[in-house]
Amino acid sequence: MNLLEIEYLKTYFFTEAGVVKAVDDVTLSVEKGSTVGLVGESGSGKSVTAQSVLRIVPRPGKIIGGKVLFNGEDLLLKKEEEMRKYRGKKISLIFQDPTSSLNPLFTIGSQLADIVIEHEKVKKDEAMERVVKALRIVKLPDPEHAIYQYPHQFSGGMKQRICIARALLLNPELLFADEPTTNLDVTIQAQIIALLKDLQKELGMTLVMITHDMGIVAEMCKNVVVLYAGNVMESGSIEDIFERPHPYTEALLKAVPRLDETRKLISIPGNIPNLIDPPSGCRFHPRCQYAIDLCKERKPPLEEVGNSHFISCHRWRELQGGRS
Amino acid sequence: MGLAKYIIRRTIYMVPLIIGISLVSFLVMYAAGDPIQLATAGNPSITEAQRQFLREYYGLNDPIPIQYLRWLDHFIHGDFGKSLYGGRPVNEIISSLIWETAKLQIISILLAFFISIPAGVYSAVKQRSAADYTVSSIAIFGISVPVFWFGIVLILIFSYHLGWLPSAGAHGAPYLWPVFGIKNEFLDELAHLVLPVTVLTFANLAYNVRLLRAGMLEVLRQDYIMAARASGIPERKVLYKYALKNAITPLLTLLGLSIGGMLAGAPVTETVFSWPGLGRAYVTASLRLDFPLIMGITMIITIMILIANLITDLVYAWVDPRVTID
Repeated sequence: MNLLEIEYLKTYFFTEAGVVKAVDDVTLSVEKGSTVGLVGESGSGKSVTAQSVLRIVPRPGKIIGGKVLFNGEDLLLKKEEEMRKYRGKKISLIFQDPTSSLNPLFTIGSQLADIVIEHEKVKKDEAMERVVKALRIVKLPDPEHAIYQYPHQFSGGMKQRICIARALLLNPELLFADEPTTNLDVTIQAQIIALLKDLQKELGMTLVMITHDMGIVAEMCKNVVVLYAGNVMESGSIEDIFERPHPYTEALLKAVPRLDETRKLISIPGNIPNLIDPPSGCRFHPRCQYAIDLCKERKPPLEEVGNSHFISCHRWRELQGGRS
Repeated sequence: MGLAKYIIRRTIYMVPLIIGISLVSFLVMYAAGDPIQLATAGNPSITEAQRQFLREYYGLNDPIPIQYLRWLDHFIHGDFGKSLYGGRPVNEIISSLIWETAKLQIISILLAFFISIPAGVYSAVKQRSAADYTVSSIAIFGISVPVFWFGIVLILIFSYHLGWLPSAGAHGAPYLWPVFGIKNEFLDELAHLVLPVTVLTFANLAYNVRLLRAGMLEVLRQDYIMAARASGIPERKVLYKYALKNAITPLLTLLGLSIGGMLAGAPVTETVFSWPGLGRAYVTASLRLDFPLIMGITMIITIMILIANLITDLVYAWVDPRVTID
């Protein structure tokens, strides 16, 4: 069963320069208990998708269409106060930069306990105990002492552990991790990834890993959704995506540096398009080495081409034929 | 502990500062002219010998360093000397006026501070809405409009045309101002406060609102605000607890400066409303070169500002754990 189903989600930013179509007709589903990778370059709409699910898109962003079905209920139809009860309780979000996502002026204990209090109407002492428990789960040393400290007294890796504890406080069913290791040292990255993997296994949580790191995807995820310029290019199992990729995914995979290969690192030519005036047809066509006139004229539909493997490309079938 | 040590050290640092400021004020004041000449210039019957006698009497003939040391000696003993006009002790003049000024200023500063919080937060949250433009326009109006003009307009409307409120002074005694027909000293005092407090609050409010709005706009963009929302913290708490505490520091600086400078803060308002305060006395003393009174008020203001700065720094450390005092 799918815990989360997003259908034709559109989130636009109404800026003075024009309407930025950051998320445009995004459709994806997340199976309960699975780990799904949400992959794409910066500006592809990964974070905005997660923010849209929680309905915390910052101004001037606005969700203007689509459905977000969580356990079959459309979150976009909920009243604000009802929606608030989902945030942090049923769906949580871990941010990219642990330093900026913790409030510098409040102790760890007080800012985390507040979340428990707002959702469960418990006394402060009890909330603090819950915080200590969550900090212990993420293996923060000396949690009884840590709750009286401020964010600046911790290292980046420890802060990210605290952020993970904050997201897990109320045992959410769904956890979005928005590039949780991008701002950390490489050694700390590995620790955080291992921690997320363990927690996911232990708690049976559903995890959506937002990343541009194909290595993390390969290591953690069963399914992958590839976004480009606010559109879903491809979604499917990790095998499908590595073996029979969409032209964009293929380019993305070639752009991953590897130690065991001597080939030159291939970057994708061009830049991510301006989303105020996105390219016609397939949004990837200006940078795609396989593009033909049709790609410029018509947007390819997201079609199921294999068992739960969805592709939005006019030429994919033809290219597969050529390849095999 | 560290805190007590810090306060003691800061207090010791104040001593050379106070002496330096007093020395500079003293010299500048003496460069401004001769108070005896100024006071007697319009009097044709006074003779040069009488002037000399007055200068001798007030010790103005001694070398300036001697005069300064004499002043300093008295100051250390808590004595500001006597006014050149009327001979009243400066200590007495200041203590009779300080309360009236403080009352006016503290009420206005605090009113402006507490009104600016919801106004600043609201206009930041509703950035570029009609409400934001309204608040911002009022704030700009408050910054731009001269205090004397606004004061006189209020007097014209509410005192002269409507006759609702008194236009001058801090007290009506012995003729108490009737408030809804009731005459008592408290209501009389309140009625006298309304117009000058309005003028001062308005002037202070403008800066407060602009500062808080700018601070809130900056803070609301931060990840920790989105994180608080993502954790299901209600919006009111996100704004007034988590965002406000981060945005309020510039406002605290301004509050510290206003409280510190409040005794000198409103000479114009006090003059417009004939308020028996220190600001007006300061202006009068300066025009008359009433040396002891000028020095007395200057020193009171200096000490107030230094104390307010110290308190502001302590409040900073209390609000922001990243600020350490030592």
